[in-house]
Amino acid sequence: MIRTEGLTRRFGARTAVEDLALEVREGEILGLLGPNGAGKTTTVRMLACLLAPTSGRAWVAGHEVGRDDQAIRRIVGVLTETPGFYKRLSVRRNLLFFAELYGVADARGQVQRYLERLGLWDRRDEVVATLSKGLRQRLALARALVHEPKVLFLDEPTSGLDPESARAVREFIGELASERRTVLLCTHNLPEAEELCSRIAVLRTRLIALGRPDELKRQMFGTRVMVELGNPQPELARAINLPFVKAASLDGSILTVEVDDPDRDNPVLVRRLVELGAEIRYVSRVERTLEDVYLELMEGSDGPA
Amino acid sequence: MARLKVLVRKEWEELFKIKMVIYGSVFMPLLMGGFAGFMVWQGRGLPSGAQAALFNTALMYFLILPVMIPVTLAVYSVVGEKEQGTLEPLLATPLADWEIFVGKALVAVVPALALTWGVFLLFLVATHVMLGGIPPGLVSLPWLLSIFVLSPLLALFGVLVSMLISSRTSDPRAAYQFSGLAVVPSLIPLIVYSARLTAVNLLLVALEGGILVLLNLGLLYVAVKLFRREEILTRWK
Ligand SMILES: Nc1ncnc2c1ncn2[C@@H]1O[C@H](COP(=O)(O)OP(=O)(O)OP(=O)(O)O)[C@@H](O)[C@H]1O
Ligand SMILES: [Mg+2]
Repeated sequence: MIRTEGLTRRFGARTAVEDLALEVREGEILGLLGPNGAGKTTTVRMLACLLAPTSGRAWVAGHEVGRDDQAIRRIVGVLTETPGFYKRLSVRRNLLFFAELYGVADARGQVQRYLERLGLWDRRDEVVATLSKGLRQRLALARALVHEPKVLFLDEPTSGLDPESARAVREFIGELASERRTVLLCTHNLPEAEELCSRIAVLRTRLIALGRPDELKRQMFGTRVMVELGNPQPELARAINLPFVKAASLDGSILTVEVDDPDRDNPVLVRRLVELGAEIRYVSRVERTLEDVYLELMEGSDGPA
Repeated sequence: MARLKVLVRKEWEELFKIKMVIYGSVFMPLLMGGFAGFMVWQGRGLPSGAQAALFNTALMYFLILPVMIPVTLAVYSVVGEKEQGTLEPLLATPLADWEIFVGKALVAVVPALALTWGVFLLFLVATHVMLGGIPPGLVSLPWLLSIFVLSPLLALFGVLVSMLISSRTSDPRAAYQFSGLAVVPSLIPLIVYSARLTAVNLLLVALEGGILVLLNLGLLYVAVKLFRREEILTRWK
């Protein structure tokens, strides 16, 4: 649904996005992660035909960016990083304006549908200036959706929201994928990305990782097993010496071992530990979070950011 | 075309909610029209030379109006968009670059001309009532050309100047003050007339019209470049 090839954008001497090759499939939520200044917003702006790429190409729903911009604008919805509204106009009037600009048939009906869906119908006649940040963010989502776009770009949709509002927005985004919409989601919230996204792209001017969250975790860390010992001995970690063990370390009574495939390797590991005279109390899996992956990636990559 | 209408309608609804704008576009025209009427009233019974000078001053009010009204409207229409952070969502819609520019210009030019001409009509009616007839000097060809040809050129000039200035600052007051300088070309006739005490004539109207056309073409060229999506998003402050 979205494809980029060597997509690059420079601002003067500064490169914001370099040589980005990415593909987002139809009905997928792809998370775009990266530190401040990584080029997430710039990427979204290029794909939404707001900024021209310096070089490289991109396609959205078969239309090429830079050649067919009007067609792209009609079928994408954008939630910008800081979504503003005409604060003197009412909630409904704001949404109606955008619906009409997109040429939505039955604009009024569609506006009502989305205001109801996002729980704003009761406040339809209030001016936007009176809305809280959370409600404004919901209105921004309604605006991004009011013309039923096939492709959505959501730039940090939950930033600055309280946990409850953030949850409401997150649940709503979850529904979008089930409507077969394709979503590119920029976020700094890693649990959120892990919960919502089928795949994650980590960007730091260049693309530094791409994959399903569990894939990324496995690639980065293998799988960790934690063994709690009754008689920890300092030299135990080095003594294991099995081919599939990538790393092992002892910290107090906890031995942490990285293996390739726990189903296959753990029984062998346990047998070996017993042979070495270890007294085993518990064996458990160490869950890595996407945050661990992310932080590890950031340490390993040096980019301008 | 449909999108243009949608944009213009939204702008007017929004502008209508700003007190400054309402004062600027209702109070000021009435005030200027009142001044013009006063000049004509003062001129009654005077020798024709002195009367002509007063009429010229009256005409000048009708040349200031079409500049000042669009300045207020255009400044708020552009700065308001920046201030509220609505530019990016607006640029994400299928609105074409030229539609944004033309829409914002129309928002200001149309009411400016409607108000100028409306006040001019009121002025003629008032003159008729006051003097029992309209002095021929007020509906001479140079006068009518000034009102119906110079005014639109001046309105466009006012709009272009204020749109350019507004794209460079997010402070409506500063933009408003700088854009006020756009009124200078309207004063040209006054300066010429008051130095020479000659009645408004075709040559002066043609000269000022020519100057305005050139200025407008130059400004239009700059404005069209400034109103490109990328420019708006990355360079506007
Ligand atoms: N209009 C611009 N002019 C000059 N430089 C820009 C412009 N827009 C972005 N940049 C630069 O491009 C780089 C990428 O910025 P971008 O906003 O895309 O990052 P981001 O990943 O969205 O960051 P954040 O997480 O803070 O939102 C930054 O170094 C930024 O300073
Ligand atoms: Mg950003």
